Amino acid sequence: MLIGVSVIVFGFVRLIPGDPAVIMLGEQATPETVAEMRQILGLDKPISEQYLIYLDSLRHGDLGKSILRGDPVAGELLRRFPATAELGLSAILIALLVGIPSGIVSARFRNSIFDNSSRLVALIGVSMPIFWLGLMLSWFFGVKLGWLPTGGLATTQLTLADERITGFMALDSLVTGDIALFRDHVRHLILPAVALATMPMAIFARMTRSSLLEVLGQDYVRTAQAKGLSDLVVTMRHAMRNALLPIITVVALQVGRLLSGTILTETVFSWPGVGLWAYEAITARDYPIIQGVTLFVAVVFVLSNLVADILSAAADPRIKYR
Amino acid sequence: MPVHMRRSIAVVLFVLLALVLVLSSCGPTPAPAEAPQDTAVAAPAATEAMPAEPAATEAKPPEPTAAPAEPTAVPAVAEPKVLIFGAEGEPTCLDPALQNDSITGRVVVQIFETLVKYDKDTTNIVPGLAKSWEVSEDGTVWTFHLQEGVKFHDGTDFDSTAVVKNWDYWANEQNPLHAAQVTDGKKFQHYPLDFRGFGADSLIANVEAVDPYTVKFTLSQVQAAFLDNVSMYYYGFWSPAALEKAGIESCKQPIGTGPFKLVEWTQNEQVVLERFDGYWDQVHAAKVDQVVIRNIKDNSARLAALKAGEIDALEGLNPDDVAVVKADPNLQLILRPSLNRAYLAFNFKIKEFQDQRVRQAIAQAINKQAIVDSLYGGVGMVANQLEAPSIWGHNDELVDWPYDPEAAKKLLAEAGYPDGLSQMTWEGGQPEPLVLWYMPVARPYYPNPKEIAEAIAADLAKAGITVQLQTVDWAVYLDKWQKGEMPFYMLGATAPNGDPNGALCTYFCLNDQNEPKVGQGYLHDVEVSDLLKQAGAMTDREKRAPVYHQVEQMIHDRVLRIYIAWTTPPLALSKAVSGYIPNPTTQEFFNTIDISR
Repeated sequence: MLIGVSVIVFGFVRLIPGDPAVIMLGEQATPETVAEMRQILGLDKPISEQYLIYLDSLRHGDLGKSILRGDPVAGELLRRFPATAELGLSAILIALLVGIPSGIVSARFRNSIFDNSSRLVALIGVSMPIFWLGLMLSWFFGVKLGWLPTGGLATTQLTLADERITGFMALDSLVTGDIALFRDHVRHLILPAVALATMPMAIFARMTRSSLLEVLGQDYVRTAQAKGLSDLVVTMRHAMRNALLPIITVVALQVGRLLSGTILTETVFSWPGVGLWAYEAITARDYPIIQGVTLFVAVVFVLSNLVADILSAAADPRIKYR
Repeated sequence: MPVHMRRSIAVVLFVLLALVLVLSSCGPTPAPAEAPQDTAVAAPAATEAMPAEPAATEAKPPEPTAAPAEPTAVPAVAEPKVLIFGAEGEPTCLDPALQNDSITGRVVVQIFETLVKYDKDTTNIVPGLAKSWEVSEDGTVWTFHLQEGVKFHDGTDFDSTAVVKNWDYWANEQNPLHAAQVTDGKKFQHYPLDFRGFGADSLIANVEAVDPYTVKFTLSQVQAAFLDNVSMYYYGFWSPAALEKAGIESCKQPIGTGPFKLVEWTQNEQVVLERFDGYWDQVHAAKVDQVVIRNIKDNSARLAALKAGEIDALEGLNPDDVAVVKADPNLQLILRPSLNRAYLAFNFKIKEFQDQRVRQAIAQAINKQAIVDSLYGGVGMVANQLEAPSIWGHNDELVDWPYDPEAAKKLLAEAGYPDGLSQMTWEGGQPEPLVLWYMPVARPYYPNPKEIAEAIAADLAKAGITVQLQTVDWAVYLDKWQKGEMPFYMLGATAPNGDPNGALCTYFCLNDQNEPKVGQGYLHDVEVSDLLKQAGAMTDREKRAPVYHQVEQMIHDRVLRIYIAWTTPPLALSKAVSGYIPNPTTQEFFNTIDISR
């Protein structure tokens, strides 16, 4: 299936109009220099030949080299991935920890003030452009209040002597005992993670609410209530269990979607991960990077759905895979 | 049921807990880290090296240590002076010959030096690594006398052999390292553009070390812009020993003679430079201890970082933010002398535009002053020709067409459009609505392309010319432009150096067969082209200048292009920063900068 994705990606990336050679030369381009640059970049070969070269290297796990920088795409992808993973996972965590409980409370106290206001907030969260939200957060908390940094992984001075072990800065700083860097890094992480978390958080809240409401209306819940069990036990142990299945699916889908959110978030917050890299590659039509990132996103998407399936099976014994 | 249900819940909870730990990536016990792997050296291995789905695995992808140079500890004695600059992107490659963008140039120019350079905020050539030079009578032999006592960052001496070796690396495709770089996918981007080609094609026939401090360049043909070309940062000199050692890793291990040396380049984040204490020109030694150039891609985010005090200086302001910077008591605004121009171009395959009266009518219908006053954020000047006043090819005596919608209407009537112009006809095509293409992105010369296009359209309408506005993604825009597909369009450029020939010739020189250039809207003026080619074969500025003045006048009188504005791109700095001297080429030296804390 991933090979299929690669074929589609290769084709579509080249269907986007625009020529990397012209972009590199910019407004100074002349037909001669464009031809020269196309030859230097290897874009003068027929597309079919370029594709065969790409496929062949893909077989060896080689994603090619950046047109602009000449760096191997796979190596760079690995190097930039930890920053994105940190951001994405923090965002999902925030979204889960806030979204699901508020969905539960909303469902349990339906039409209460909390329910109505949290639904309103969720609606705003789903509709807000993440780019704009990011800028607003950074202006308000970074510039106006000065509470949190406006962007980057950590304060420049602190990272000067920074050593990398895993590439996950939070982990590295803890392992090396650099508490100052860890605190600084977490401070840098807050705003982008919140910006990125907003949309999935809203979706989780709404999904949890509607899924739980549906279950709460079922007979067995009434039976449980009739048994004299407390509200909390009924909701959390009996109803929530059944309500969990659609939520797991939605979470898995959001993990995949989060990666597209990171492109904008990382750009606004200068977060040096895969998203910022992809953004730069798309504007420069750096084909190998776009292909590499797209393949990577496909892999993450497939894997997160796989995990969702496994979790669903664990949550619901009726689901069995043979 | 309850028992096994409880167990399942336990499983789910456990998995969730595990997730949380991995997610927060701050679990008490670190995941087993794999051996650090060097960034670019290690060609990435097989597909299984692809990072797995984050939530599902505890295997962390290997993470390289990116520091090419030894991480120098900050001196403990006095608080070091650190200048933090917010850049619009990250460098591509710190080997000067292998890159071609101003973001990289800003870094490279601090580390490497060229034979000659541009003085302060001008394009006047002054000595660099060459203290003096002379050119032969026929203009083909240039002799440079080098500064003595110049050391590279690795302690080796700069001399004529270094010049010869570097030039061979750039120009000779047979040079082992040159060949290895190309095989590795690197590109010597600018050399063939500046000197026509590599090896036998190169305009530089020979580079010879006459004695340890004298180098002789023999050109196969006179090149007017030779000095301007060698002043560009692509031709900054490496320590030959360091270059050999770095090999195809040269992008990450630059060793030059400049006032700063590289400490660390963390890709996508920042480049850290440090004062080079052995700099040969102690009078101009760097004033700050360190320079950190941080990559902040978004204009608004960069300004936010400056306002929050996280960075000290930045380039790339949204036009609306110029006022924000001016109003901030902690910030200062610096304007870069103009080396750019914004123009409106005609496609000469459009029958209507082949009539000079139509072109002149358009020129007279546009109120440039009003556009510059209202849409350039105070950093623009009305242009009447290609070169800005600060560049030596500029014609001071040229008087622009006056803004006069009535005169424009009259011209249109004379040209056979008494009811105004709203259609265009491609050669061999049917009449269709007249379209003006505007750029989808802000560039230094057109900071508000859409608003400017709307203003132009409104002006044209007053003279009876109706245009539809159209745009498309920037990459496609450039592509359409190169293919000659736009009938009437806005564009501009910032010149790479201050020699007028490069800029004028890019647009107006025809090829040897005098064929029109597709990418310049089939612009075809043999007289202008011939004059430019003559001037390009002379080396004496005194003799060349009148030719450029004449050419600018002809371009204006024949309305081959309409120039709208020159801009002085703004930089925003903290008030603590002093001594920032912006060069028109965007490549300024940071050794003049000081910072008070």
